[in-house]
Amino acid sequence: MSSTGAPDRRGRIGLVPARFGEGMVGGAEIVLAEMGRRLRDRGWDVEVLTTCALDHFGWENVLPAGESVEQGLAVRRFPAVFDDDAERGWLNHAVATGQPLGLVEQQRWMNANMRSPEMYHHLLDHGDEYRALVFAPYMFWPAYAGSQLLPDKSVLLACLHDEPAAYLDLFAPVLSGIAGLLFMTEPEHELAHRVSPKLAPHSVVGCGVEIPESYDAAGFKERYGLPDRFVLYAGRREGAKGWEDMLAAFGRAVEGGLPLSLVTFGSGEVHPPASLEGKVFDLGFLPDAERDNAFAAAEVYIQSSRYEAFSRTVMEAWLAGTPVIANGGSDVVRWHCERSGAGLVYDDEAEFVECLRLVAEAPELARRLAKGGRDYVLEHYTWEQMLDGVEKGLVEWTTAP
Amino acid sequence: MDDGAVTAPRERVLMISPYPPVRDGIASYALQTVRALRREGLDVEVLSPGPSAAHHHLDLRGPRGALALAKRIRDYDRVIVQFHPDFFYTEPGRAKARMVESAALMVPFALARRLEVVVHEIDGRFGDPRRPDGQVARRLWHLPESIKVHTASERDAFIADFGVDPAKVELIAHGADFRPHTHLDRAAARASLDIEPDAFVFLAIGFVQPSKGFDRAVEAFDGLAVAGARLDVVGSVRTDEPDMVRYASDLVELAEGVDGATVHLGYVSDELFDRWIVAADVVVLPYRAIWSSGVMERAALFDRPVIATRVGGLAEQAAARADVRLVDDDAELRAAMIERLPLEHVPATASWTEEVLPEGGDLRTGLQERVRERASTRPSLTRSGAAGTRAGSASSAAEVAQRSAPLRRLPYLGPPDTNHGRRSVRLVKRVLRKATAFQVDPLLARVNELQAATIRALEAEARAAQVREVETRGVEARDGRGAEAAGS
Repeated sequence: MSSTGAPDRRGRIGLVPARFGEGMVGGAEIVLAEMGRRLRDRGWDVEVLTTCALDHFGWENVLPAGESVEQGLAVRRFPAVFDDDAERGWLNHAVATGQPLGLVEQQRWMNANMRSPEMYHHLLDHGDEYRALVFAPYMFWPAYAGSQLLPDKSVLLACLHDEPAAYLDLFAPVLSGIAGLLFMTEPEHELAHRVSPKLAPHSVVGCGVEIPESYDAAGFKERYGLPDRFVLYAGRREGAKGWEDMLAAFGRAVEGGLPLSLVTFGSGEVHPPASLEGKVFDLGFLPDAERDNAFAAAEVYIQSSRYEAFSRTVMEAWLAGTPVIANGGSDVVRWHCERSGAGLVYDDEAEFVECLRLVAEAPELARRLAKGGRDYVLEHYTWEQMLDGVEKGLVEWTTAP
Repeated sequence: MDDGAVTAPRERVLMISPYPPVRDGIASYALQTVRALRREGLDVEVLSPGPSAAHHHLDLRGPRGALALAKRIRDYDRVIVQFHPDFFYTEPGRAKARMVESAALMVPFALARRLEVVVHEIDGRFGDPRRPDGQVARRLWHLPESIKVHTASERDAFIADFGVDPAKVELIAHGADFRPHTHLDRAAARASLDIEPDAFVFLAIGFVQPSKGFDRAVEAFDGLAVAGARLDVVGSVRTDEPDMVRYASDLVELAEGVDGATVHLGYVSDELFDRWIVAADVVVLPYRAIWSSGVMERAALFDRPVIATRVGGLAEQAAARADVRLVDDDAELRAAMIERLPLEHVPATASWTEEVLPEGGDLRTGLQERVRERASTRPSLTRSGAAGTRAGSASSAAEVAQRSAPLRRLPYLGPPDTNHGRRSVRLVKRVLRKATAFQVDPLLARVNELQAATIRALEAEARAAQVREVETRGVEARDGRGAEAAGS
């Protein structure tokens, strides 16, 4: 961007995550929030349009509707509507398991989950006041409904995963008919081409990762009363992220003599099996600094999710010098591991256990494995690189007022 | 700050309609109206039959739906209903159910402070005064303060069918609040849809269902795929009912046999809908039945010419548009499509002076073959198959055409001529024509369909025979070479 001078930053950018605020867990939403702050610092007029909810299970409206300034950003909140819907259960199940659904059922599925009519009508009434609307991730109602209402202004930070929902007809116009798409990795970009033969204008912009100034691994263990050697899992503790399967496999490994504990933080409930009694430490939601310390203190970070568009937590582990064990079903994380050389992947429980045993039995080897991780992150995933790409897309795909 | 001024409360409006992000023509229509009303400063809320971006949702069908609606309707100064029988009746086709449900619907209609109903579709027989359900329907339709329709014929029919005060039934412009959903120009739209820049594109778009008659467009296009001309049928099946699904699969099968015709089944967003229209050269509306067409309005929005069948209120809707060609039957539809093919897309045949006929042999046979071969590159009203691509060699196209020639010679069968020099005879003929049309027209259509189908079948068989012959020759040649090699 610098070679052609400053980009034309006129016009308001609306960032539209389904959730925003302290205590919210969600990779895409966190990236969008940080992107907003940094775009503002570069001179853009940024406003966050979001719901009053922080939790994506119950969508309870815990924050007041209306305008405010939060984390230095102008925020406009709208109530989330999450009715009791008898159909939601089976429709969610049908979509998650890839059952064939007609278009009518797909639309019912989308509308059976969280909606925000007030947000929709704000966009209907005031869409002309925005130069661009940046949505993320693709699967939530605001991204779907908003991008279809104002396609010319809509840019989607796709956060696409290779999951059955991505292939629904419903999302075809979202991927093909809006102003632009932002991808964070090449595997995500390739997946998008597989899902939609004709993509909207798009660009791989990477993703920015915060670089902590220092770590306090020992202090972290002491403050939280943790054992010396543990593996770490961070983020959403739910089936879609492979949490339950991983926890069960970890339990069986411990029963087999694995001398490691499991520390976890994030959202969702933790239900460890009886065999893991006293071996699982749920820290709930951690402040940013302690989150970084957790990565540094862990023997290894486990990424059990098959559905990753980028995986910030893997980057945070590598920045802290910690190796990664990841589900090989995720093209994105496998790609990161292969390129950085700083992580192992597993394709079944036996491989998972072997990875854990390596960490337990040869910790020095595991630390050596992690060596290239930090340089990999610093080389590829800085905010400056990402913001340059995002600004280029905004300038090319949208029109300044 | 209090300057003493009293601000009048904003008028509260309730719009009752399907609503985005559900993809539906009436939903898109309602959205555009809501946008316009809110921009006028009105406080508009939307109630939809199912969950959507609407503020409220309620299953409106049946007495329970009507009574639930009645509880809410007094909260608003004005209520606008986008009416389609499917939204309010559980079984629109059953008179008894209709009577009960019309009676229930009278409650919210009577309670509304100011009620406007935009009628998108209704069967006039529902208002038959000789039947109890018709009597109730007539009472129901006396309740709205205003009833809005899109064409004059709809207005006349509605007044006659339901006996309502003509002063209450207003005409509104179908596309009054329409806004474009895409900013792409034709080149960009085509690039995004993988359409060649110089292709000539006929487009039939909308919900794929028998009443839309997309099969008629595919049939009419048979043989018109000349030098890049194409027909794209774009849309989704509105419901999962077996009849609809079967129609869609039959349509796909039909298009597979017609060169240049493609059915794009799948979700069509508003943006994609407009992008297809921008990419098209001509929009084809081969409807069998419709009240009025939103597609015609969207085509007008982007200045795209339209070919439409003369059904429902399309003729009146077309009267307000610059470039709409109305057709009365399939033959006219095909003729209109041929007329639209730009000359540069029809490959010019060389001058006959440049024809080099083989020496010797029967000159007439040679010429006849060339006539057929040359003719096969041009579209006609009766010819089937891909013009210009019928067969691989100069003579094979002629052979194929020869097989279907006796059938192609038969003229298209139209309705009996009602013209006569004497006015009284002409009048009698027309009366008879009108009286017998319900019996005669299906027979005529079937005869013409049989003719076209037989031509297609014969030519397909002739082409297949040619392919078999070529393959047999190839096998014989290989066998011959093999035998020679073995012998040497």
